[in-house]
Amino acid sequence: MTFINVIHAHSTVLLIVSFLLFSFLMPILERWKNSWCATMAVAAHVLAFVFIGNLSWRVFTEGTIHYELGGWSPPWGIEFVVDYLALFMLITISTVSFLILIFGTVDLTHELKPKVLGLYYTLYLLLVGAMMGLAVTNDFFNMFVFMEIAAISACGIISVKSDRECVEASFKYLMLSAVGTGCVLLSVALLYMIGGHLNFAFAAVAIQDVAHIYPNNILVALALFSVGFIVKAALFPLHVWLPDAHSSAPSPSSAILSGLVIKIYTVVYLKLLYKVFPIELFDLLPVFDMILILSALSIFFGSIFAIVQEDIKRMLAFSSIAQIGYVFLGIGLANSTGLTGGLLHIFNHAMMKSMLFLSAGAIIYCTGIRKIDDLKGIGLKMPVVMGAFTIGAMAMVGIPTTNGFISKLYLALGTLDANKHFYLAIILISSFLNCLYYFPIVINAFFGESEEEDGEEEIQVKKLPLRMSVPLIILGAGCMIFGIFPKYILVIIERAVEMIL
Amino acid sequence: MGETTTSFLPVFVTLFPMLMTLVIYYVQKESAKLRNKLSVITSIITFIAVAAMYPQIIRGDILVFELFEIIPEMGFVGTFRVDILSFCLALISSFVWMLATIYSIDYMSHEHAQNRYYPTLIFTLGACLGIFVAGDFFTLFIFFELMSVISYVLVVHEETEEALKAGYKYIIMTIIGGLALLLGVINTFELAGTVSLEHTGMITTASGLAFATFIAYIIGFGMKAGMFPLHVWLPDAHPVAPAPASALLSGIMLKTGAYGLFRVFFNVFNVEFLQETNWIFVVTVLAVITILLGSAVAITQYDLKRRLAYSSIGQMGYVLLGMSLFTEAAILGAIFHIFSHAFMKGCLFICAGAIIVKTGKRDIRELGGIGIKMPVTMIAFTTASLAMIGIPPLNGFLSKWNLALGALDGGAPFYVVVLLISSLMNGLYYLPIIINAFFGEEVLHQEIKADDVPFKMLLSIVVLAVCCLIFGVSPINLPFDLSRMATDLLIGGGI
Repeated sequence: MTFINVIHAHSTVLLIVSFLLFSFLMPILERWKNSWCATMAVAAHVLAFVFIGNLSWRVFTEGTIHYELGGWSPPWGIEFVVDYLALFMLITISTVSFLILIFGTVDLTHELKPKVLGLYYTLYLLLVGAMMGLAVTNDFFNMFVFMEIAAISACGIISVKSDRECVEASFKYLMLSAVGTGCVLLSVALLYMIGGHLNFAFAAVAIQDVAHIYPNNILVALALFSVGFIVKAALFPLHVWLPDAHSSAPSPSSAILSGLVIKIYTVVYLKLLYKVFPIELFDLLPVFDMILILSALSIFFGSIFAIVQEDIKRMLAFSSIAQIGYVFLGIGLANSTGLTGGLLHIFNHAMMKSMLFLSAGAIIYCTGIRKIDDLKGIGLKMPVVMGAFTIGAMAMVGIPTTNGFISKLYLALGTLDANKHFYLAIILISSFLNCLYYFPIVINAFFGESEEEDGEEEIQVKKLPLRMSVPLIILGAGCMIFGIFPKYILVIIERAVEMIL
Repeated sequence: MGETTTSFLPVFVTLFPMLMTLVIYYVQKESAKLRNKLSVITSIITFIAVAAMYPQIIRGDILVFELFEIIPEMGFVGTFRVDILSFCLALISSFVWMLATIYSIDYMSHEHAQNRYYPTLIFTLGACLGIFVAGDFFTLFIFFELMSVISYVLVVHEETEEALKAGYKYIIMTIIGGLALLLGVINTFELAGTVSLEHTGMITTASGLAFATFIAYIIGFGMKAGMFPLHVWLPDAHPVAPAPASALLSGIMLKTGAYGLFRVFFNVFNVEFLQETNWIFVVTVLAVITILLGSAVAITQYDLKRRLAYSSIGQMGYVLLGMSLFTEAAILGAIFHIFSHAFMKGCLFICAGAIIVKTGKRDIRELGGIGIKMPVTMIAFTTASLAMIGIPPLNGFLSKWNLALGALDGGAPFYVVVLLISSLMNGLYYLPIIINAFFGEEVLHQEIKADDVPFKMLLSIVVLAVCCLIFGVSPINLPFDLSRMATDLLIGGGI
């Protein structure tokens, strides 16, 4: 029984530690029992489900969990806080990354050299662990450490393919991400200088007290935070690293980067805005309006750029820029409907985009085709993959009964609540633009002229392994189920929003 | 007025075809025959289920059902609600759908990709009925989008370059329409706090946002109804589909737009408000242009199905004109014309399908003497065409008569002139086909045995033609009675 007690008392930290532990186990396993790596990575996720199950049960019954690391109470020790927002992120991250991993266990053997396969899992688990750490941390410096871990491991899973493109892309990412973390570190320093605390809650109180003495410090800190997180989350115009990084990486990496990594920074930014900075500050510096403008630009230009892409993964990457704009739009609206929409879109987009990237990965795995124009008639040969892609495309456009519709609906209502009709127009226009670049792919895939193709060479299609098709089916079904019954995820999100505002 | 009763039937007629789609999809691997039979049986059962609501509806009851909550806090719930107007539309849709499915069995037997055709056809039936039985705009919007997007598969069925091009136009316009409709729905929710069809006059204060809502609805539903200038997808999309699908697209699916506009005019806004602000005038003007343009362009078309498609635009103009005049007779005419046009255009399109499948000719000029060779088909075609022109005692006459009466009641004889001109134009493009078919010089040197049309096709053709005939001025006229009841409901504001 002591074992259960330990889980019950320490599941918050065990969650992250177990990921780190498994991750550092990989290099050893890799030398010794190469074939175990994938299994152990899956085992880490299964273990995480246990901890998250425990956490969610406790959060729903007892309320927010404050965990003091090593028994040192804040402000001296590091504190982890699991509230509804953190729980929401934990559930999203663990579920989606689990499915991506299942897919990856087959796909990676095809995309990577066997030598680096074990090391890939190291990086992957590190990334997932760091993301979960970011979700629960309540401490500036801890946050910075996790950001660095996430950034380095994200670069790792891009450059792991070690062709020219990937190395270049990951270098670009590394540089820009270093600028981002640098900004964040600087602003942490600025806040520490005036507040003397690293814990979010204590820092917030301290900053509130001294706000009138050092307004410039706080403003600069806020500006630096904004730049740092906007780079990390790839909002227009600081998105330049994303298309290269997400399109050149191996498909599971693209899926997790687009589906989860950019979102976690958005959530941390949201946490900082509401938890740390005093409300009066936003009168001085209209940061929410700024976010709105950037998100509108992001939504618009992300879609425009996506239309002209020829490579399917590059197109998906640009679409991610547009979609992250929706999440920021929800944050910028700063009312409960809008914020619900934004958070819901984190979950929905995590499912849709990882599904789309995985189906692109499956297409590349089975046929080797990356160019959109060459995908003619592929739907009849790979019905499961293109079926998933079709659901993803419909969700992106926001056709009802898919989850994308629900988040867009919330965002749209949020714009009306905030009395900002212009952004409603942006949402509608961008839905239309999404349709312009997603539907032709689907149409081409299913309704080509089969007669004319006889002259051309037939597309050779490998059989899709079960471990690749099952995650796609689960994600596809998830997109539909949460489109018809969004209330099961809204339960958490609404409480999170209530808590934030 | 009757009372509100909970009934499972509205949900059944929607979800049953949708669920059967899965069954049909999996059965077809085993046997194509079973698939065909199941499709027909599904459509028949659906029609019976719709008809089973008749006793309650005729008492004036309103059937409701709450399926499940989609977003509970917002009041967006999957409610179903059938009143007399919904029932009219659902009845005619399921009836024509049933005939079209029966017709499909023989018509499609030589076509490719039937495995895709039947599930889509049946799924669209469910989605289409869902529009009519939905109890709030949110549910209505969901079914509307489902139907519009899924029927894309019917439009591009032939997969020729032409079909794909038309399909692309169709899907783009559909998405635009859907987004406009979404805008309308969320604006309504924002302004009124509810989107349920239980309420009338949800928005009765003029504001910029209210006008935007009105325009958004007009674009959203008008797109579907083929209203000028949003009709551009229609003449391309309808002719390229297989004949039974064209019959449904033109005969039934256009009506979903008209039905939506009825709901917008009478539920979201109300008559007094729209007349006071004069917003309704936008629709009236567009309807007049739609009537004249549809009929005029139809004359210039020589492709049989394309001519019929343009004619559909003109005919939808009648419905729009009728509903925008707001007089009792005009609304009666509009609702009855929904019935009439479904029978007429359904009949014409499947006749055209039979002709094309037998002769391989689509050009009207090449169809000389076809009437001698395919007498039953051409007689049915003639009946429906004459009904289109509005010759008594056919059903088209009755709807036009009421529309004209409505226009006079509203003190606007100008619209009567429009109706007359357009009837004349209808004559100009339908009569040559008939005359040419029966008395024209035989240009067709193909040997066709007398009416070698398979029985199931002939059955549907004859049933629809007979409907055109008997629902004219015959004393027992179920559609007309239903239309009258629906009109009373709308005018009485008892929705």
